[in-house]
Amino acid sequence: MNILFLHDAFPAQFGRLGLELHQRYGWHCSYLIQNFSSCPLPTAEMLRSLEIHRYFVPPSTDGNDEGGVPWPRSYGRFVEQCRAVYDAIRQVGHLRPDLVVANGGRGAPTLFVPEATNAKILTYCEYYFARSRADLTYRIDLPPAEPAPFFPRVINAPTLASLAQSVGGYSATRRQRDSFPERWRSRIEVHFDGVDVDLYRPGPRTGSIAGRSVPPDTKVVTFVARGLESMRGFDIFVKVAKRILRERKDVLFVVAGGDHTYYGWDSYHTGPGKTFREWTIETEQPDLDHFVFLGQIAPEELADVLRRSDLHLYLTVPFVVSWSLFNALSTGLVVLGSDIDAVREVVEPGVSGLLEPLFDADRLAERALEVLADPAAFAPLGAAARQVMEERYSVDVSIPPIRDFFERAVNMSVPD
Amino acid sequence: MTHDPLHLLFVEPRFPGRLGGLADWLVRCRGYRATFLCHSAEPPHRRPVSTGRGLEVIAYQVGGIAKSGAVAWTRILERGLCHAHAAWEVAEARRIRPVDIILGRSDGLGSTLFLPHTYPKIPILQYFDYYFHAHRHDLADDAELDPSTPDAFHQWRRAANASELIEFENGVHPWTASQWQRSLFPEPYRDDFLVLHEGIDTRLFRPDPAARAERTVAGRSIPREARVVTFVARSPDRLRGFDRFLEIVDRLQRLDPNVIAIAVGDPEVVHALDVEHHGLDYAASRLLSHPPRDPDRLWRIGSASPGMVARVLALSDLHIAPGRVFPPSRSTLEASATGAPVLATDHAPHREFFENDATAFLAPPEALADRAVAIWNDEELLRDVARAGAGATIARFGRDAALPRLCDRLLELVDRGS
Repeated sequence: MNILFLHDAFPAQFGRLGLELHQRYGWHCSYLIQNFSSCPLPTAEMLRSLEIHRYFVPPSTDGNDEGGVPWPRSYGRFVEQCRAVYDAIRQVGHLRPDLVVANGGRGAPTLFVPEATNAKILTYCEYYFARSRADLTYRIDLPPAEPAPFFPRVINAPTLASLAQSVGGYSATRRQRDSFPERWRSRIEVHFDGVDVDLYRPGPRTGSIAGRSVPPDTKVVTFVARGLESMRGFDIFVKVAKRILRERKDVLFVVAGGDHTYYGWDSYHTGPGKTFREWTIETEQPDLDHFVFLGQIAPEELADVLRRSDLHLYLTVPFVVSWSLFNALSTGLVVLGSDIDAVREVVEPGVSGLLEPLFDADRLAERALEVLADPAAFAPLGAAARQVMEERYSVDVSIPPIRDFFERAVNMSVPD
Repeated sequence: MTHDPLHLLFVEPRFPGRLGGLADWLVRCRGYRATFLCHSAEPPHRRPVSTGRGLEVIAYQVGGIAKSGAVAWTRILERGLCHAHAAWEVAEARRIRPVDIILGRSDGLGSTLFLPHTYPKIPILQYFDYYFHAHRHDLADDAELDPSTPDAFHQWRRAANASELIEFENGVHPWTASQWQRSLFPEPYRDDFLVLHEGIDTRLFRPDPAARAERTVAGRSIPREARVVTFVARSPDRLRGFDRFLEIVDRLQRLDPNVIAIAVGDPEVVHALDVEHHGLDYAASRLLSHPPRDPDRLWRIGSASPGMVARVLALSDLHIAPGRVFPPSRSTLEASATGAPVLATDHAPHREFFENDATAFLAPPEALADRAVAIWNDEELLRDVARAGAGATIARFGRDAALPRLCDRLLELVDRGS
């Protein structure tokens, strides 16, 4: 089998997957990407085993670059990206995939792929944005953003356009699949792509974090997100932390994540030049002596941090559940999460974790304090979480069904 | 079902466009009240009679990229969003109330997309014209396509459907004119469609012996012995088969020197599907490269009012609709309703509206001229098919026949809510 993966970045969603398919089944996996990501970095084995080509999306014709595209321009920019993918396939020349698998986070850039290859196209259906009451528009406690009435009705245009000419799609979780309009769901299968349970495993605790000594009796509470932003509940986390600190001073809050807002419209209420982290710190004025901000860190370092953690807070709005949640659960940590469907799919409250209403900072703090006060009482939750990850979400469990699905996709009918 | 009057809010880039005629009917025949938001409107003498008398027309001004005359094809959705935003702004600013139901047609330009923000509980019935297939239908059939056609032509077709897809997912009730049009859309959407033609105005387009006896058109007299073949389109372009029409006329005029051909339509090609000739006078360039047998017997009438179209069709001895595979033009139905025998391309869209040899003559593109020659002198056959065509078309597509079903649907949606 010859697969062409399309994604903005590498290794991102598909690097590990391709490597597994190559190592386990001898499949040839090639990639068209725009950038190598710095976190995580591609491994030497990936670079050795996988065929990777970069493509470039020319600067926007109206002078706006990728980061500065106003929302009405977003589909046009997507089309330009699709053209760049089309050009790249033709330029590389020798790519003869049986299947093209494309990440559809903001629309898979596959619109013109059928003009360049006869391969079937499969879309990774990461998420379908809601018109209201979820993801971008869920934080009604924050000032409304100008695009809120409009952009959610447009944002899915790339996703729909690419899905309409794919033979099918797959999502990592049921909730992601169910974010799509009902009429499309029968074409989308659910296949989780595997958490690395060997890397993220329970184990001995390190004595320091980011060079800072952490005494054994210090309680560590972790918060991890690619970006420290409102959709991932960073500000709520700080509120909860402040309440915890009112009750006990032996707590260190360790935060991993960058300052960029990847989703949502935080800049509309933080103002220009200020990150949501800075805005939150300024607004909440927490005692920063009890916080460590790590920035974005490598998976190995993250695994160490999670092993040292006593409690992991995961406070997302209804949206795609983060890899960090799976990593924390796989580490056997007690997770206290926001009680939303997407998290409930992975965490069974009272069995493999704890869930409380997202906006109830007092209740979240109370639960956190209970865990910190009596770790032994809550340890079975972490053990159960670890077991769920091993049995249902590990790479070993996840890869064979994906392989089967890809093989089936090659024989699926192209939509009429 | 009761027939309580409703307040309707229409949104379509142009007025009267496709929905203006039915808005007029609903106001006149059902006592509804309608507000029509549009970007541009025909001059007053081409507007329906209820305009200003129950049918209020409000123009919106577009901003952003939509102000430009030409837009890069990669940015067509953005242009549509400008229209949608402008329509929303006017609705919001005018506080148009009450509104029982919204009827929209984007025609690739956005339309009702943002209105739910102002009217969250109001159902929207959205008219969908067309869904592009990269290499099929209209002017994209590979068999007919110039091999030098740039890649961007097919890319544009794949990209352009996004505006339809986001409209679908905006909570609207989709509506289209024919089963064939419905079949173009992705399978997950097809079951949701109301399939109902918006109807033709049978006050204008019906058999009228008196109109037929009046043998002048656009100030020119038609000799008594002359027989008339007609072609009507928004513009006489390739999409509607003007090139084929000329070939047929050539064959008929070889057969019968008394044939006068009349072509109606704006010289400028308005449909963007013909990227090569868009904005140009395709008919003129075609006539230059393929000079007609007898230029004096090929009359071109430019853009015409519905009344003028009705006059031309009333005189027609054979109406020719040789278009490519595309939704049938309204003028084809109007010709049939007027009592002109219709010769049309034999393709699925036409077969849905006409029965070959019964209500019209259908022939493959390459056989259209032969067919025209074969039937031209069989006046009894022409008369029979014309009569049957008029009866069937009026019974099926006359607004009095078609639109009560639409009223039922509107009331049902209003009762059900958004």
